[in-house]
Amino acid sequence: MHGRLKVKTTEEQQKAKQEERAKKLKLYTAATSKAFQKRKAGELDTELLEITGQVLHVNPDFYTFWNIRKETFLHLHDAKESAELQKLYRGELDFLEMCLKVNPKSYGTWHHRSFVMDHMPQPDWARELELCNLFLQFDERNFHCWDYRRFVVKRSKVAAVEEFDFTTSKISSNFSNFSSWHYRSKLLPILHPDPTQPSGIAPHVIQSEFELVQNGLYTDPDDQSNWFYHKWLLGRGEQNQRINYAYISCVKKQILVSFTKAIKIGVASCEVLLNKSKVNVTWTNQNGTSAFSTLWISFPEFICL
Amino acid sequence: MGTPVKDITLPDNAPKTLLLQKHADYIAAYGNKKDDYEYIMTEYLRMNGMYWGLTALSLAGQLDRMDKKEVISFAKSCQTEGGGVACSVGHDPHMLSTLSAVQILTLYDAVDNLNVETLVSWVAGLQQDDGSFSGDKWGEVDTRFSFCAVACLSLLGRLDAINVDKAVDFVLSCMNFDGGFGCRPGSESHSGQIYCCVGLLAITGYLHKINTDQLGWWLCERQLPSGGLNGRPEKLPDVCYSWWVLASMAAIGRLHWIDKDKLRAFMLACQDEETGGFADRPGDMVDPFHTLFGLAGLSLLGDESVQPVNPVYCMPENIIRRLNLSTTDDAENS
Repeated sequence: MHGRLKVKTTEEQQKAKQEERAKKLKLYTAATSKAFQKRKAGELDTELLEITGQVLHVNPDFYTFWNIRKETFLHLHDAKESAELQKLYRGELDFLEMCLKVNPKSYGTWHHRSFVMDHMPQPDWARELELCNLFLQFDERNFHCWDYRRFVVKRSKVAAVEEFDFTTSKISSNFSNFSSWHYRSKLLPILHPDPTQPSGIAPHVIQSEFELVQNGLYTDPDDQSNWFYHKWLLGRGEQNQRINYAYISCVKKQILVSFTKAIKIGVASCEVLLNKSKVNVTWTNQNGTSAFSTLWISFPEFICL
Repeated sequence: MGTPVKDITLPDNAPKTLLLQKHADYIAAYGNKKDDYEYIMTEYLRMNGMYWGLTALSLAGQLDRMDKKEVISFAKSCQTEGGGVACSVGHDPHMLSTLSAVQILTLYDAVDNLNVETLVSWVAGLQQDDGSFSGDKWGEVDTRFSFCAVACLSLLGRLDAINVDKAVDFVLSCMNFDGGFGCRPGSESHSGQIYCCVGLLAITGYLHKINTDQLGWWLCERQLPSGGLNGRPEKLPDVCYSWWVLASMAAIGRLHWIDKDKLRAFMLACQDEETGGFADRPGDMVDPFHTLFGLAGLSLLGDESVQPVNPVYCMPENIIRRLNLSTTDDAENS
């Protein structure tokens, strides 16, 4: 339960609440048992959609009922004409929109919507993008909606530049919009790739992004979103694997190698040549195990000249 | 003009000591209200609920208050023919309830009551070509399910049943500019997902793939002036997010980057003195979910009246030791 304030109630209020709940419970149990019965009997019809819909409308996390609806739709594919199916699926989208207005953060509802879009005869992707715009207006941080938006963008091949412009408009109305900054970090390498740069992004774009986020920092220096993006722009990209240093002691008969990135020797072998002849070495990390590490040690038998 | 910081103020009269016995009583009584509105309406997460309650009781050192036989037979009756476990009898199998069932039976050292073979092949069957996992046969992919699969199989000693390298690669493909992880490639970082991804990398021995300082910074910035932690920037603090952030920090060795005393004060303030149990925030309704994460969080913060908790599995540490499971990169088996 999130954000449900505990309130003191009078005995009378409690009684009224109990009665209301008892009534709701009766309807709820009747609906659930009927739905399960119908499923068992193979009655995958519009009545089943009706019954499961009543429950899901108030309880969208009842995942088995979303499954029943999916089964029902797949079953109706065989029984109905395309036009009729389209109409049913359109009705399903309306129903889902209603559910999302009650609870815009249910995983099951959003996933079911993507199922519907992938199965209906004539999906209207432009309308879905509009729906995302609307729900991001209600809550610009709803990550379920952002993820659904990315699904719509992928399916309907919306240009990355259009999405980039969308994040710009979101940021210009509110700099403190972590979701938009995040999305930009994913779009920039697609829009302005530059493999010669450690960040993988063209330098002039990094520069203009830097100016934009700096405006945000001046507007609100306490806002974290801007600072995280700022730090990322300043980042130096990924380090390549190389040997930092190697230490060889003839007296201790010990070799110590430090790498820039954790490595598992044995998978990527590390050969030792001494005066051009191979030395037999067994490596362990500093803990004496063979798990990933940046530090590797060996005590080989060799003779120094 | 700046954006106001979203936070709460701890009430002066909020609890300042741990009411452990009250929490144990609250949990022990919860399962007895089977005709209750709340109880019936949450049937779709019964198995998860039992895991929250039983683990909370274990951390309070009072697991023996529950009817072991009844619990085991319930979990057993929820396993479906295909091997997956449902949240309740008659419902469909799902990855979330399957992990909960395995965790519950592990608490009782009784996983043999399940058909482990079919369960393992059901979980393995949900791995996709790209290494990800779907939650069930309907194909919703999420890093939460990657964690469920790997945690579940490791508890059963059967990680060999899946392609671990691909599972790791998928999780790494969900890493973001801030060092965190989201639901799928491209998704925004969220501390619940970070907990799952860090957990998967910890179990498989790939924690070194994380940019520890970057992620550690993002995680410690979740702490607000009230002491509580939020799940994402510009959100309110919450006991469950406090756990997910705290556990992730523990797994990557950055627990010392937050103010422990202030977090402890926030968590204690979320207790309900009358009913027992923890709420998400002071003054809200309590539930078993937040009660588990409250106790587990206090355990990680070093409260000695609570049993030590394993930050990755969210189960008592002694049980994870009994199974000889490692959640650091130093394990020989990784």
